[in-house]
This record gives sequence, structure tokens and C-alpha cells, in this order.
Amino acid sequence: MNAPLLELRNIETYYGPIMAIRGVSLKVDEGEVVAVLGSNGAGKTTLLKTASGALDSRKGQVLLDGNEIQCRDPDWIARQGVAHVPEGREVFPFLTVDENLAMGAFNRRDKDGVAKDTATVFEYFPILKDLHAKMAGYLSGGQQQMLAIARGFLSRPRLLLLDEPSLGLSPALVAEIFAIIERLNKEQGLTILLVEQNANVALKASSRGYVMEVGGMVMDGTSDSLLESEDIKEFYLGKKDEGIRGRRRWKKRKTWR
Amino acid sequence: MSGARDLIINGCDTLPKLFLKNSAAWGDRIAMREKDFGIWQSYTWNDYREYAGSIAFGLLSLGLKRNDAVSILSEDCKEWLFADIGGLLAGGVINGIYPTFQSNQVEYTLTDSACRFLFVEDEEQLDKYLEVEDALPNIEKVFVFDWKGLRGFEHDKVQAIEVLYERGAEYGRDRPSLLDEIAEQGTRDDLAILIYTSGTTGRPKGAMLPQRYIVAQMMSAPDYIRQTASDEILTYLPLCHVAERIFSGWLPIAHGATINFAESPETVMQNLQELSPTYIFAVPRVWEKFYSRVTTAMSEATWIGKKAYEIALAAGTRRAEKLLAGVKPTLMDEIRFQIANRLVFSNIKKTLGLDRAHSLATGAAPISESLLKWYLSMGLPLDELYGQTETGIVTTTRKGVFRLGTVGPIVPPAELKIDTSGEILIRSPYQFDGYLNLPDKTATTIIDGWVHTGDIGTLDDEGNLSITDRLKDIIITAGGKNITPSLMENELKFSPFISDAVVIGDRRKYVTCLIMIDQENVEHYAQTHAVPFTDYKSLCAREEIVDLIGGIIDGINKGFSQAETLKKFRLIDVLLTAEDEELTPTMKLKRSFVNEKYSTLIESMYGG
Repeated sequence: MNAPLLELRNIETYYGPIMAIRGVSLKVDEGEVVAVLGSNGAGKTTLLKTASGALDSRKGQVLLDGNEIQCRDPDWIARQGVAHVPEGREVFPFLTVDENLAMGAFNRRDKDGVAKDTATVFEYFPILKDLHAKMAGYLSGGQQQMLAIARGFLSRPRLLLLDEPSLGLSPALVAEIFAIIERLNKEQGLTILLVEQNANVALKASSRGYVMEVGGMVMDGTSDSLLESEDIKEFYLGKKDEGIRGRRRWKKRKTWR
Repeated sequence: MSGARDLIINGCDTLPKLFLKNSAAWGDRIAMREKDFGIWQSYTWNDYREYAGSIAFGLLSLGLKRNDAVSILSEDCKEWLFADIGGLLAGGVINGIYPTFQSNQVEYTLTDSACRFLFVEDEEQLDKYLEVEDALPNIEKVFVFDWKGLRGFEHDKVQAIEVLYERGAEYGRDRPSLLDEIAEQGTRDDLAILIYTSGTTGRPKGAMLPQRYIVAQMMSAPDYIRQTASDEILTYLPLCHVAERIFSGWLPIAHGATINFAESPETVMQNLQELSPTYIFAVPRVWEKFYSRVTTAMSEATWIGKKAYEIALAAGTRRAEKLLAGVKPTLMDEIRFQIANRLVFSNIKKTLGLDRAHSLATGAAPISESLLKWYLSMGLPLDELYGQTETGIVTTTRKGVFRLGTVGPIVPPAELKIDTSGEILIRSPYQFDGYLNLPDKTATTIIDGWVHTGDIGTLDDEGNLSITDRLKDIIITAGGKNITPSLMENELKFSPFISDAVVIGDRRKYVTCLIMIDQENVEHYAQTHAVPFTDYKSLCAREEIVDLIGGIIDGINKGFSQAETLKKFRLIDVLLTAEDEELTPTMKLKRSFVNEKYSTLIESMYGG
């Protein structure tokens, strides 16, 4: 069996004395979309940062194609084909859309390829084409999110790490962006590790999912099975059985089965 | 009944009489503390009497008659005791219901006890009643301790507890001596408490406890149960269980200890550490937890730390072994122990919250001898108590006498004998009055005045009782060999990686077991040994973890005979909670239930 594209084993990551991730293992196979769910502070962003090298883990391994890459410099890891689209978009506000996209391709020498990929990106995000000369700071939140994903794509990564693409966007825009994420996966063969609080869209766009809570994994499974789980329904999708009084305010104890 | 007339404490023969007398005498002394938004709030004996009194008056104004049943469905909190004592002051009978019960179980005990008034903790517990209210026409009023989330909710039977307090205070204003009069009319033979024993087979049975039972338990302190007026205790086991009722309900009313409510079942360890109680009663599970915490911490410690612990434990063990052998430790042993205690044990005790405790007690389940020895080595002798709902606490180990593996001699005036089958029989003037509505069950339990405990045991020549096992749990293998599972289970549970175990083998070729791993410690093991896992199920499936448990079992097998060797085992790969039927409210695996639920897993160990 081939090694998974990305594998995390027993990762422990600290912020100073604070243990943000206390032993997390997961894997992403080539061609998959994998979702990581969790509430605020569960350690999802820390997990992605550890994978992309922005943070170093104190324990455990990060494996890309079965080779250990933990604690390498983030730019080196990026060159191995891992693109990280950070939470909150983080586009370069004083650069134009074109320049932002060029930044995404900073380590590529194949001018033709870059031009082709820029064209591809404009196909997926036509609005970016219209705004190509505009400064990124003037773009709306949704447009910036699209730009951030497009910028990530322009490094022609093998693995795209997406940190909460739905953050602060309207439901319509979230649906639009997730539709594009699914297309990127299917049409471009892009492998995606997706971190989300919006469980509904994330599980529908992915084939497998993990659930994190206070720095640890509490559940994993196929996205369909997670959507059916009682705890996911109650705690992430906000669906409760009505209860006897027509509404139930108290929460059941989580069991993660 | 002979001897019952001697059951008098402080001139009182019932709890209501004693409560009225003592709470008046103690007035502004602190009776209990409970956290409110993270800050400890104190309640005096005056407060206790006032709240309980208001409830009593309120129930009387609603027409409560003597011997009417009042039920409480709640986690431990001050209102639990207010309602408990209030109901008794009004002449009622109290039925505590486990807060982990599902609505059908709640319905059963409410119907069986013909309950008229129900107290529930909050909307979650209230919903259990509402789900089955149509089947419960006998319930007249339901009072909710915590009205949060119910604003705007209207139901002609449901009220906030505050409404009852007000109603009661008003009713009591014109009848200042009513509660004293009701108490005076009460006798020691009145039914006081119903305790539904969690039936592992069939329906739960409601054991009827009379007033004299309560008084007798109060009288066993401070001589046999060493709780005194100056004690601080932590209340964390369900109050509907007879043990916590004795320690946090009855004994403080008789002797004046201060109780502190744990914030929740999950925070018991933190609350213990924070309070450092002076008298601690805990179930073996808690004592096991302390031990595994220390063991895990020590495995992480520096080389010097490990060495220091090792040397200290050796010194402590040396002294403990002398004590256990009945030999006086030499001066040198004592000096070594004192140094170890100063330098090492005192820190451990402080981190666990055991540093102020003058008395530690264990009961309600069997405990491993290795564990008792470990505590004794640290200079913390654990008293063992034995009893059951039907008999009360009837044996205790005595101070300064160390007989590992025994639960001590009988506490007078109870009597004890072992019948020809090995079953322990108890007789006392205060034992329970039988099971409610179950004359047949009562007749097979109380025979010629002796309570058949269903436990097997032996007496040594000094009268110390040793419990072998539950009569019905004794395993007879296909080869005809008798095996006592609890002995092996306790050894298994002594491992920090094993939370609970059930030994199987009745009418089978060989003996096997099901293991519930200790999540915290096994996850920690996996982390330090680079064993990747995601959730609990995947952890249980890891070969390394199965090997870890296998190694522990191999070690334990060495101490048992060939026929008793555990040939195979399986891990239960579902993380169980107190709500699950497999577990008792004190988080023990229920043997019969496990046998049924995991039958395929069990059969897989026998080639099925």
C-alpha cells in the first residue's frame, strides 16, 4: 500500500507552556477531501500550522509521502507541494489581485505553466478576472477568500490546507466557494485538508472527517457516517430532537459514538 | 423488637427529632457549602432548618400525610438535602432517584412508591417526568430546584422550589410548633427512606428503611465510623445511594461535620484537591484513580524524582509490612518513614488533597489488597467498611488494627454469622423492613430474622470478616472448579491502564475477561510510545495497546492457579458513561448486563 500523502502521528504542539494539541493522528490520501471539525479552541488551526511547518510540534511526526517533514522550514515544506490558505484570508492588501496570484507562484520557474494556471483560476473564479488590477484590500470578504484559495492553487500544490474558508461569509457565498472547492478536487485532482466549524458544508464536500475537541481527536469516520452521528447532529448541526416541551435547552452528554 | 429501645442518640429516637434539636443548638455554625458561580457559599444550621422547614410546611399545606412518598430526582446539591429532611419533617417517606435513570426507570419507582410529590433538579430531569406524566396520575406536584431555561413554561403541576419555600414559610408562620408536634408523634419504627437497589436482574427493589435504621447508623460514629464535629467532608457520590446518605446526610446531623458539595461528578478530583477534606469516604474506583495518577506522574518524573519515590516507597512498604504482620515497626523503620513522609509522601498527599485527612474509608465495592498496602505505605491507612442497603454499615476495620483483606469485625448491636453455604447473614434490631410491594422477595431475603446478604465470606478467629464474592457471581468452570471473579478483577483494576474488568467462565472450558481500559492513562501511554490513534475505538484496536493489556494479564496470571488463568481477553471499545446501562451510577461494570450485551465478543473468546 502506498503511504498516505499526508500523515500526522501523535502530534503534540505547544504555545509556550500551553499544550494546544495533545496527541493527534490523522491521514489524508491522494485525491481526498478530508474535513477536520471542531469548535473554537479545539486546535484545528494549530493542527494545520503544524502540518505546514508554521509551528513546530514538540512530539510526533508529520509525514509527506511517508517522509518525515516535521520541524522543517515552512517555505521548504511549501516547495514540497503543501499550500496553506490561512484563516482570515490574509491576502496582501496593498498588492493587486494579479500580484497576489504571482506571489502564490513565487517559487515556480515555468512562466507558461503559471500563465495557464492563472487562466484556470480565472475560470473557477471569474470575479477575480474582472478585478485583476484592483488592490486586494478593496475586495469584499468573499472575493478575498477566493483570491486566497486561488493564490494557494497557483503554487500547484499536491496538498491544499484550507483553514475555515467559510469564516464570515454569507451562506450563499459559502455554498459557492465550497462548490468550487469540490470542483478543484475533482477536476484538478487536488488533495485538500479542510478545517471547518461549519460541519454541514464541510462534511458534504469531504469524503472523510475527523472531530477535534480540546486538542484531541474524539471521532473519525466517513463524512456520511459523521453526518448521521447523534452528537454531530446535536452539537455541530444544531439539530435536537424536540423534547417533550417542544424545545430542549439542555445538552446531552457527548459520547462520540 | 429487642434492642431497638437502645437506639437513641442525644435523647432522640428519630431523625426529625434529632434534626430539630441539633440544628437549633448549632444555629450559626456552618452546615454545608456549595459553589455558586465558582465561589463557595456557606449555609448554616439555621439556614438548613429554615429551608427544610419551609419545604415541610409547604408539603403539609398541600396535604402531605404521614408515610406519603416524596421523591427526589437530582444530582447532589443543597436542595437535595433540604427536600430530604423537609419531607421527613413533614412525616413523609423519601425516595431518592438516580439522576442517571432514564424516564421509564423513573416512572417505575414513582409508581411503585405511590409518590405524591416529586422534586427535580432542572429542566433536564423535569423532561424525564414530562415524558411519562400521563402514566403518573398519583403525582400531584413537581418542584424544580433550578428554574433556568423554563421561563415562560407553564404546567399546573410544575413549580419552582421558591414557590414552595414561600408557601411553606407562610403556612408555618401561624403554626410555629407544628413540626415539633409531628416529630413527637413519630416513632423509631416509622418508615423513613426508600432505596431502590439497582437490580442487575429484573426490576429494582425498593428497600424500606425505618427511622431506627438511621439512628443506628448515626450511633456508629464516631467510634466505628470516625466522622466527628470538626470534620470537613466532600459530598460527591449520589445521595440516593445509602453510603453517601449516611456520610453526608445522617452523620453530620448527628455529629455536626460540615459538608461540601462537589461541583459535578467530573470535578471530584479537583474538588478534593481544593478542599482537602479531613474525613474521606470513597469508593475503590476513586482510590484506584489516585494511585494511577501518582504512578503516571512518577513515570514522567525526572530520574531524581523517580529514585526519591522509589526509596521513599521502599521505606514506607517496610513499615507497612511490619504493621500488617502485627509487629511494631522498629525506631529505625519509623525514622525512615518519617523522612520519606516529609520529603516525598507529603507532596503527593498535598497534590491529591489527602494531606489533612485524619481518616480515610473505602466501601461499596471490593478493593485490591495491593492498593490498600500502597496507601498504608504512604502512612494512609484505609478503613474498610462493609454493609448493604438492607443492613446498613455493619462491619468496620478498627483503628490501628491492620488485617489486609478483611472488612473488620461486626459493629454491635448487629450480629453476623456464616451459614453452611458460606453466605453472610446479618441480624440487627434496625435492619430494613423488607422490599416495598414484594413480600416474596422479602421472605427469601429475611429468613428467621436474618438478612441473607447474597455475599460469601469467612470469619477469622478474631471475628474479622473477609468477603469472597457475591454468591451469584461465583464462577464454576466446566471442569468444576470454583473461581471468585472479584479477586482477579481487583488485581486487574490495580493496573493504572485498566479501569474495570469482568471475569467470565461460568460453565465454560476456561476463564476469560472483558477489559475496560482507563482512557486517560492508556492515551498517555500511546502518546509516549508513539502509537497513533484517533478516537477511543481506534485506540482499543491498536495492537500495541492489546499487547500492553496482555502483558498485565500475563503478570496477574502468575499469581493464580492453572485453572484460574485468564486464557483470553477482549477490550470493550466503546467509551461508556454513567448513562449507559452497562455501568452502575458509581461507574462499575454490571456483570449480568455485560454478559448479555457483549455476548458476541465473549463468544469470540470461546471459538464462537
